[in-house]
Amino acid sequence: MVRVTTLALPAPPASRVDRSGEPLIRAAGVWKIFGRHADRIIGTSDAELPRAELRAKTGCVAAVRDVSFDVWPGEVFVVMGLSGSGKSTLVRTLIRLIEPSAGQVDIAGKDVTAASQAELRELRRHTSSMVFQHFGLLAHRRVIDNVAFGLEIQGVSKAERLARAEKVLQLVGLEDSANSFPDQLSGGMQQRVGLARAFAVDPKVMLYDEPFSALDPLIRRDMQDEVIRLQHETGKTMVFITHDLPEALRLGDRIAIMRDGAIVQLGTPEELVGSPADEYVENFVRDIPRSHVLTIRWIMRDARPGEEDGPRLDVRTNVRKAIPVIAESERPVCAVEDGRVVGVVDRETVLTAIAGESA
Amino acid sequence: MAVAQPAARAVAAPAPRPWWRGRAGLVVAVVLGIVISYFGWRNDVPWPASLTWNSLAAHLDSFQTWLSDHRNLPHPSIVFRAFNGLASFLDDIVGWLTSFFFKLTWIGTTVLGVLVVLRYGGRRAALGVAAAFAAFAAMGLWEPSVRTFALTFASVALALAIGLPLGVLAGRSDRFARAITPVLDAMQIIPAFAYLMPIVILFSVGPGAAVATTLIYAIPPAIRITALGIRGVQPNTVEAATALGATRLQTLFKVQLPLARRMLLLSVNQTILFALSMVVIAGLIGGQGLGDVVTSGLYSNPALALLAGVAIVIMAIALDRATEAMAIRTDPAHRHLTEGKKRRLRLYTLACAAAVGLAVGLGYAFGAGSVWTGWTGQSWLLRQVQSVLDYVQNPSTFVFHITNPIGNFIVQYGLEPLRTFFVATPWPAMVFGLALIAFLVSGLRPALIVAAMLAVVGVANEWTPAMDTLSQVLVATVLTLAVGIPLGIWAAESERARRGMRPVLDVLQTLPQLVYIIPFIYLMPVSIVPGVMASVLYASPVVIRLVEAGIREVSPNSVEAAGAFGATRAQVLLKVKIPLAREAIMLGVNQGLIMVLAVVVIGGLVGSGALGYDVAQGLQRSLFGQGVLASLAILALGIALDRVTQGRRRRRLGDLA
Ligand SMILES: Nc1ncnc2c1ncn2[C@@H]1O[C@H](COP(=O)(O)OP(=O)(O)O)[C@@H](O)[C@H]1O
Ligand SMILES: [Mg+2]
Repeated sequence: MVRVTTLALPAPPASRVDRSGEPLIRAAGVWKIFGRHADRIIGTSDAELPRAELRAKTGCVAAVRDVSFDVWPGEVFVVMGLSGSGKSTLVRTLIRLIEPSAGQVDIAGKDVTAASQAELRELRRHTSSMVFQHFGLLAHRRVIDNVAFGLEIQGVSKAERLARAEKVLQLVGLEDSANSFPDQLSGGMQQRVGLARAFAVDPKVMLYDEPFSALDPLIRRDMQDEVIRLQHETGKTMVFITHDLPEALRLGDRIAIMRDGAIVQLGTPEELVGSPADEYVENFVRDIPRSHVLTIRWIMRDARPGEEDGPRLDVRTNVRKAIPVIAESERPVCAVEDGRVVGVVDRETVLTAIAGESA
Repeated sequence: MAVAQPAARAVAAPAPRPWWRGRAGLVVAVVLGIVISYFGWRNDVPWPASLTWNSLAAHLDSFQTWLSDHRNLPHPSIVFRAFNGLASFLDDIVGWLTSFFFKLTWIGTTVLGVLVVLRYGGRRAALGVAAAFAAFAAMGLWEPSVRTFALTFASVALALAIGLPLGVLAGRSDRFARAITPVLDAMQIIPAFAYLMPIVILFSVGPGAAVATTLIYAIPPAIRITALGIRGVQPNTVEAATALGATRLQTLFKVQLPLARRMLLLSVNQTILFALSMVVIAGLIGGQGLGDVVTSGLYSNPALALLAGVAIVIMAIALDRATEAMAIRTDPAHRHLTEGKKRRLRLYTLACAAAVGLAVGLGYAFGAGSVWTGWTGQSWLLRQVQSVLDYVQNPSTFVFHITNPIGNFIVQYGLEPLRTFFVATPWPAMVFGLALIAFLVSGLRPALIVAAMLAVVGVANEWTPAMDTLSQVLVATVLTLAVGIPLGIWAAESERARRGMRPVLDVLQTLPQLVYIIPFIYLMPVSIVPGVMASVLYASPVVIRLVEAGIREVSPNSVEAAGAFGATRAQVLLKVKIPLAREAIMLGVNQGLIMVLAVVVIGGLVGSGALGYDVAQGLQRSLFGQGVLASLAILALGIALDRVTQGRRRRRLGDLA
């Protein structure tokens, strides 16, 4: 039997998220209330009412209620919730496709909520771009012209924008369809065009509003891989809206769970799965196999004296991936963070965790 | 509790009441009241002289004189100069266009028309256009046809120049759409006869006045359909453009307009049809061309008038098909134009332009005239038409034995008694009765408007002719509904019936209003009847279509549910479909009334008397004051009839929002 004493698995890639400086997006106390005289409601006791009661009383809908979060450069920030929970409205308030009723949004150090129309256009042209659930492609233009559309809006010359569009089309694997028209492509390919159009302007921030919800499950998986790949290659910051928890867990560095317009929990996938904040979140994560999401940090116990020289694993290793190592080892496996042993996992802890999954 | 509400309401639902206890019963009671007042105080209470403004006509006449005096001063004031400029501009456009087509020679004009349609609309549409040119030549109506086309073209171009931008605005702004909708409604319910007089006073007789008249009629559909087109562009494409930082103008020109292009071209199509249906009326006030041939032939050469009417219909059909084909073929969203295709099309365009140039050159080389003057079958055609007209008028033929009694019957048992009834009923009973009905059917505001409108009629000293017109409108509307509702139901129930009726309805709807009247002058030459019959023909297609659409719209679920209870087809129709389609049928009544009024007053040209006659006199004998007052009364009557029947929830064809 081989004694494993060194790291059995490569540590997960060092996080691309850069938390050293300022957050790239900062939303503070954002509200959106639809309806007449909506702005009068914020700050009164009515604003605290549950959504249905507010609607019955004033006829207004509180789509987004007092939402705050930061997104760091390079991060994939997922917003998840049932349909109607305010996700689309929230992501639109970030670039004021929908005017927020209250609150402040900063993107790349600029106060979006205070920006003039011209500044806002600059932001939308160069800093952010968005991918939509229903694609929003222009039916009267070829694929390549669709991809170049953002550059055209900016006034980039035709030769230059077509060259750039061609490159981006290669990036999403659509170089052969450049001269097709959107209605000649399948749904998945159309959304690739949508992705390419967003990428073509080389934005700092990508906003996705349920981009894959209209696609078949198999294609959806492909597209998720595509996004992960693009994100790794380009290191873009992303705000990703979805109502699909597995999708959120696959993509998100952090996930905000929304309910009735408010964020009920914000955390890493393992935080959500490991300690759901309330029943609503619990219901979401119940069917998720915990070993797929949780790292050994969540199941380790304190090391007893003498156990600290067992085989070592990074504390961020997935439980599922750690199982073979633990199974082969006679001794408890040490969880290591920054070179220090912070806990140990043995067969018993793993079995307890897996047993908890089916309970 | 919110949840408990529906159940509570179901329990509280009133037991079905017999109809005479409902609103219908009240309406009948009001009508009975009016009838009683007629028998009690017949002719005793005419509209009082103290409530009329007798000198109004004279004032209007002197205003007109003042206007034309000041306008024709050697140095008119700035207002008049601007106005004269507008009037002569409108005159000039038509003049320029006409002489342009004449300069091309008849060969050049033909080749230009056919090739433009061939290039953008395809072979079939081009063939139709060529056939239309051939027909104009064969009928010997080449010159008036070209003049009419020039008039239509000028009107349509101006209508679009005004209508498209406003339509784009209405498509992009809810506020603007809400503000403009009532104006468009008003423009569309006003019978053309009501604004002829004011326009003649402002523009004086001539092509300019004809263009202005046509514009009023053709601008609303241009605005409506454009707005619908802009609103029809998927919001998420617009949002995507905004998210990329597009300005409003960029969004408009790069996204909304190209994607709405097809609808915009359809709005061109509709505008053309609306404009063409006005050219005959335009002929009354100096529009040259086919309309002029129709109106002047009405008394002197009816066969020629009929022939010109046919030419208008041919032009309408050819233009309709051509523009529709262009709208569909050039839709950028479905055309998939690649660079190679684009280049080939550009060459094609060049070739077409060269061919037109060549044709014009050949025309000059061989001395082709500005209009076709070669062989025509006109005299032969005229003889045939005349012999048909003679035949139907001959008392010894069997046609006469059918039409004559029908005409006499309508007059004797419908029009005459009703006319006496309306004219002789005490005016307060009429005003309050109609207002009450409006209140019961449509609500308080419409009722007040109805009362006010009838008061306007009285004050303008038009009470008697207005009541006369009203009686004709009622008879015609009753006939229209008697024809339209059963046919509409039949068309809704039977696909075969629908397909059979469609081409007939299409043709009836493209015919200009006046053209309907001509045959009836011969078929039923009894004073009022031609106007009434023509209005029935004019309004029936719309009623049929509205009723049919209403019944077809009834949710299949309710029909299925009734079927599941074992209802027979007749039961389903009577107990489910017709009650559920009531709103659409009501709209049919409303639209039918408005359309009937428009044609009944035109009947004034051919002996229907009443308000239409006063307008015709105003136009033909320059009795301006008289004509304007009658126009005002027509307008008031139109608004009143609309409000009485609009129903509580206003539903309109082609609502913007
Ligand atoms: N333009 C609008 N006017 C009124 N209510 C709206 C509007 N847009 C969204 N809402 C309401 O706001 C709530 C949140 O909608 P949305 O942001 O689309 O939710 P999600 O994207 O999570 O499905 C919903 O209740 C919706 O009905
Ligand atoms: Mg959504």
